[in-house]
Amino acid sequence: MSRSATLAGYLGGFLLLFLVWHVAATILVKSALFPPPWPVLVRGWELIVDNILQDQIRASLRRIGQGFVIGSALGIPIGLAIGSFRLVRALLEPWTEFFRFIPAVAMITVSVIWFGIGEESKIFLIAYSTIFVVIIATAAGVGAVAKDKIRAALCLGANRWQVFSQVALPATIPYILTGMRLAMANAFITIVAAELVASNDGLGKMLWDARLFMQVEDIFVTLLCLGMLGFTADRLFRLAIRMFAGRFNPTI
Amino acid sequence: MLPAMAFVTLDHVAKTYRGRGGDWAAVADFSLGLEEGEFFCLLGTSGCGKTTILNMLAGFEPPTAGRILVDGQAITRPGADRGVVFQGHDSLYDWLTAEGNIGFGPKLAGKSRAARREIVRHYLTMVGLGGQGGKHPSELSGGMKQRIQIARALANDPRMLLMDEPFGALDAMTRAILQGELSRIWAETKKTVLFITHDIEEACALATRVGVMTRGPGGTLKAVVPVDLPFPRDRTSDGFMGVFRQVHGLIHAEIHPA
Repeated sequence: MSRSATLAGYLGGFLLLFLVWHVAATILVKSALFPPPWPVLVRGWELIVDNILQDQIRASLRRIGQGFVIGSALGIPIGLAIGSFRLVRALLEPWTEFFRFIPAVAMITVSVIWFGIGEESKIFLIAYSTIFVVIIATAAGVGAVAKDKIRAALCLGANRWQVFSQVALPATIPYILTGMRLAMANAFITIVAAELVASNDGLGKMLWDARLFMQVEDIFVTLLCLGMLGFTADRLFRLAIRMFAGRFNPTI
Repeated sequence: MLPAMAFVTLDHVAKTYRGRGGDWAAVADFSLGLEEGEFFCLLGTSGCGKTTILNMLAGFEPPTAGRILVDGQAITRPGADRGVVFQGHDSLYDWLTAEGNIGFGPKLAGKSRAARREIVRHYLTMVGLGGQGGKHPSELSGGMKQRIQIARALANDPRMLLMDEPFGALDAMTRAILQGELSRIWAETKKTVLFITHDIEEACALATRVGVMTRGPGGTLKAVVPVDLPFPRDRTSDGFMGVFRQVHGLIHAEIHPA
């Protein structure tokens, strides 16, 4: 499909979403607790004019960005080591298999006790929710490098380090990027939960305050923002993957 | 006794794997000497151990008995003196262009950029892919990928070429074309070639000698048939038919044992 057709499809899809929302709110539900799109958009514009919405978005995105970078920066080398060395795998796999069943949401309590309700606790939680996904995807990628690729390099005179840096690593990059993309989705879930429980700002905090003061439109503005931001982040990531790795792995 | 002066010597080589149901032999008591510059086709039925022979000679797996010598040196690991062309195109580097793949070995060898460019151009032309060097493997057909594999192995200037059913996954037309090209390239480069195949016609068309293996598991060398026919070979000539019939008879007894 051409780029413009894809774009038109997205646009049509969103218009349809708003239409369904409008019909559901004005005809089916008819309740003050479920506002139709227009008042929500108006309220969103007010919040933008008052510079409130931008501040909350910025706060949440900054935390996601920082935690995501830390989690990925730690996860990639650990995943590479697990995938490359049997001893490291034996030692660290229990860790990854243990912690990945403790969701970041369950770690909110601990992280607030440790780090307080400042930035550190949220960044910790995002990094936590990122790192295991990235580790597992990276290690799986190393394991999936075709044996013949490595054998070919050995026959061309590569030593162990060259096999790693020039064959195993580039062959693993599509897996790493896919893991990061999944982790990005996790980060959006985690940030809302963390800000709901313990924060002074951010979209989660905005959601919580709106509930407290029964500002239904504000709740929907936040939900709309989360959806749009997540969608945009994912598209940007996919675009980056395509630009970076698409030509050598057409399956992405 | 071995041929004392052979370039490649496989001396009573065996390979046994440990399995759940006890040990099983992939190759048993295999002895062969290859002369420098010859094109030896090893022909055998599926599972006879012919690929295991190539893997041991390449240094991917050690033999469990016997010795493998190349130019008097025992093989302990893979090395740049033995180029390998694999059956599938898994071995190509998808993130590199055709040029990048061919230049991979020279780059590891520390050749300068200018020298590499010259080598890449030379072998790209030799395998008939001049002008296609900027493409990635995903943009090339199966036959072109195998051409790149051949060029990549040759670009390293190995002393011998080990080819593991390199045309096995190609359609018949492409296979015939590539067989012709390979004969020409072999005549140009004078490399020693060990070529694994299960295709009798392919073996007779390419080889200076055809080795026929007994059926597996635990195959060994059954007979060696010299092919003294000029290149390019006419597959409809009486001489070719005669060799084909002889090799066919040997392998047929392995497919349909009495």
